[in-house]
Amino acid sequence: MDDKYDLVGFFLDKEGVFRSNIIKLLDGTAAEESASSISFAAGTFAAVNIVFLMLFFSQFAILWIERKAVARMQDRYGATTALRSLWVGENGVTAGEWWNMLPFGAGKPVGAINKWLNKKYGNRDENFPTVDRVNNRSWMGKTIVPGFFQNVADGMKFLVKEHMVPQRADKLIFEVSPFLIVSSTLLILGMIPLSSGIYATNPDLSILYAIAIFGIAPIGVFFAGWSSNNKYTLIGGIRSAAQLTAYEIPLLLTLLSVAILSGTFNIIESIHFQHAAGSWNIFLMPLGAALFLITMIAEVERVPFDMPEAEAELVEGWWTEYGGMRFGMLFMAEYIRTYAACFLFTHFFLGGWHLPLQGTIGSIEFLGLGGLYLLIPGAIMTLIKSWLVFLIVFVWARFALARIRTDQILEFGWRMLLPLAVLQLVLSLVYRLYLFNPDDMSAQNDVAGGMAWDAFGIPFFVPAATTLFWIGMFWIYLNDEDKSVAQERMFHVQTVEPAGTVVPGQE
Amino acid sequence: MAQMWITMGPQHPMTHGLWTLRVKVDGETVVDTEAELGYIHRGVEKIAESRDFTQITPYCDRLCYVSAMTWANSYIYAAEDLLEVEVPERAEYIRLISAECQRLASHLMWLGAYGPDIGSLTLMTWCMRDREMFLDLLQELGGSRMHYNYPRIGGVKRDIPVGFADRLVAKVKLFEKRIEEYEMMLDESTIWLVRLQGVGYANAEDMVNAGVSGPNIRAAGVNYDARWAHPYSVYDQVDWEPAVEKPTSVKGADCYDRYRVRMEEMRQSCRMILDAIEKIPGGKNTNYSNGDEMILAKAPTRAPEGATGFSNYECTRGASKFYIQGGGDGRGKNPYRLSIRSPMFITIPYVAKTMIGYKVADIPAIMGSFDPCIGETDR
Repeated sequence: MDDKYDLVGFFLDKEGVFRSNIIKLLDGTAAEESASSISFAAGTFAAVNIVFLMLFFSQFAILWIERKAVARMQDRYGATTALRSLWVGENGVTAGEWWNMLPFGAGKPVGAINKWLNKKYGNRDENFPTVDRVNNRSWMGKTIVPGFFQNVADGMKFLVKEHMVPQRADKLIFEVSPFLIVSSTLLILGMIPLSSGIYATNPDLSILYAIAIFGIAPIGVFFAGWSSNNKYTLIGGIRSAAQLTAYEIPLLLTLLSVAILSGTFNIIESIHFQHAAGSWNIFLMPLGAALFLITMIAEVERVPFDMPEAEAELVEGWWTEYGGMRFGMLFMAEYIRTYAACFLFTHFFLGGWHLPLQGTIGSIEFLGLGGLYLLIPGAIMTLIKSWLVFLIVFVWARFALARIRTDQILEFGWRMLLPLAVLQLVLSLVYRLYLFNPDDMSAQNDVAGGMAWDAFGIPFFVPAATTLFWIGMFWIYLNDEDKSVAQERMFHVQTVEPAGTVVPGQE
Repeated sequence: MAQMWITMGPQHPMTHGLWTLRVKVDGETVVDTEAELGYIHRGVEKIAESRDFTQITPYCDRLCYVSAMTWANSYIYAAEDLLEVEVPERAEYIRLISAECQRLASHLMWLGAYGPDIGSLTLMTWCMRDREMFLDLLQELGGSRMHYNYPRIGGVKRDIPVGFADRLVAKVKLFEKRIEEYEMMLDESTIWLVRLQGVGYANAEDMVNAGVSGPNIRAAGVNYDARWAHPYSVYDQVDWEPAVEKPTSVKGADCYDRYRVRMEEMRQSCRMILDAIEKIPGGKNTNYSNGDEMILAKAPTRAPEGATGFSNYECTRGASKFYIQGGGDGRGKNPYRLSIRSPMFITIPYVAKTMIGYKVADIPAIMGSFDPCIGETDR
């Protein structure tokens, strides 16, 4: 079902308010003949900017989610920097006075605002500098989303740092590779829809595009590792190249199975399929969802698959030599890739912008609750789902697991992920041919969604049976270990006679 | 692929201190290693020659910054052997409790540092959280959190405070549950197992020949614990068993065996503490004033000419041995010679050679599993 909030339609619809007004404005001017093109360009510009800003600013949330969730997992508070900490300093002096470092006096207004804020709200008791520091973490004792602005502080720190290039580095490649990584990463955001009406671009083959763009950054990683002229970065870059094929091929096959099941290479249409089928893909292909998550964690180089930047043995891996804002940009690019991975999972497996139980709750007529439920914007739903995916999968995995070795991921990728991905591909083909016949599937644009999968006359049979089957398989996999060996390993600390019964040296 | 030398250290996350491991790699495979030690040599043995016997204790605290109490105790036993002092039993119990608390803190520091070596950051903060409990307890005794200067020749500086016993028991019992929590997170994780098992084999025979001691050889099935074989304090009166691991492979102990033996050793330390605090003579909630004969015996300040003192102490990383020769040249107040045998000084070069044949990613896993500490290594 299309989302009600149609941003792109508002800006690009020729009869819509936006474009018709521009065309009307240009009436009688020299640009009258190309008024349609100009209004289209203006509409595209506006839509793309709004979508990118939404994606960008919502990214602050995932950094915050990671910091705070990790802190909870590790029994600590985590970052507590408040927005106020950025300008109110100790005794009226903010550490660094970063605004004075901006070029062309661009920071002067910030300095003026800071001066005023310090005068009005600052801590002025110079006898208690430590209390000031602590107070800066809150406003009148209340913390407002504590830690949310820590990333801003980190970014500012990166901004004012020196940019250093190793003396014997290949300077051109060293400078180019961060741009390669960051720009290709930003291009991923270009085709990620927030809902059916909020997206920057919507190419027909957006699934292929996403994967192709995802595959560019590892080349940049290899360049960066090689050009830094450092042995750690070299090993990191080569590791990145070595493990590339191990996870990229299962990832491609998984996405191919998504495309086959939904019968399209377009992200938005694959979401429409999930609605028309009446079930999110995660229930139709749980194996595919698991494979996608595992390979995506490897793709974005997070624990347990972060061998290229294994900080225990390789210091910081391929980005050891990058400092300052280049490090900051690479860091940001890594999180954008993670965020994009969460979006892709949401779209491919969690029904994109569709609300949970949309058909059921949406048809409640009591007090119009169903109608109220349907008023929730799809973009909000997409964001919430992506954040939850990030929190539950990416953050949890990162801080509960250890890092595996390169040879182990190669073995895991080739021996386990690849056969399973092929199996998923075959299953998708079978589902598509026998259960989701394209002739039965009409893109249903109503609230309830389709029942095209109504197999053997039993509704919900296919998703329920598939999910239960794979949960069972997973349970078997978990419990089908050689218990005798495992126990021997885990509980074989020898015990000898208790102390006191034997006098050592005299037995 | 051409082989190359990589210099890991002196500032490198793997080193856990200040030393250099030079690794020759062929791709990802380690083909040769070379350990370079000596970055933080402070000359403690030489300094000791111009200090009183009492003044040496703080220097011995600083031999190892995560296990100060055991090293100070280790020196104290040698000094008491030299000066022929009878230590009150209550003081021995207090020393045992403090040393085992320190062993728990030290092993937690090891586990906490080992987590990031393998890639698990959560493990580090958890271990630091629990280590705080034991540092707080040690702070109640010694007044400090790192270098306590707590044991004295002939006893201990202060008695245990009133209420200390209750806090100790509560914390140890909580920690026994926490050990299970760690094992739930680590032993149930396949990644943890595949990173540790089958990696870093160290043969018992080789290790004994090289002089490696402590948990590292107990992991290979050698049932040698100085606390058990030559009980020095009241270790023969409390309820415990040395943690000895029977390696599953003929090649010897792998990283997992060493991890297991330290986890078991923490359990045994808990058991020891809980038993010792009940058996302590003079009552667990009485507080004798400083210098009371229950906790501190009179000790001579001068050693007779030609007398020697020796201690074989089970430190957290292995057997630490102190040898003191007193007197000489009429300097009765100072030792003529103090010699320290550090377990890690022997272990680190040995470990460097066991890494050959494994991957670069295994270097921190193997090195961390031996629990290096550079303070005692370089002395």
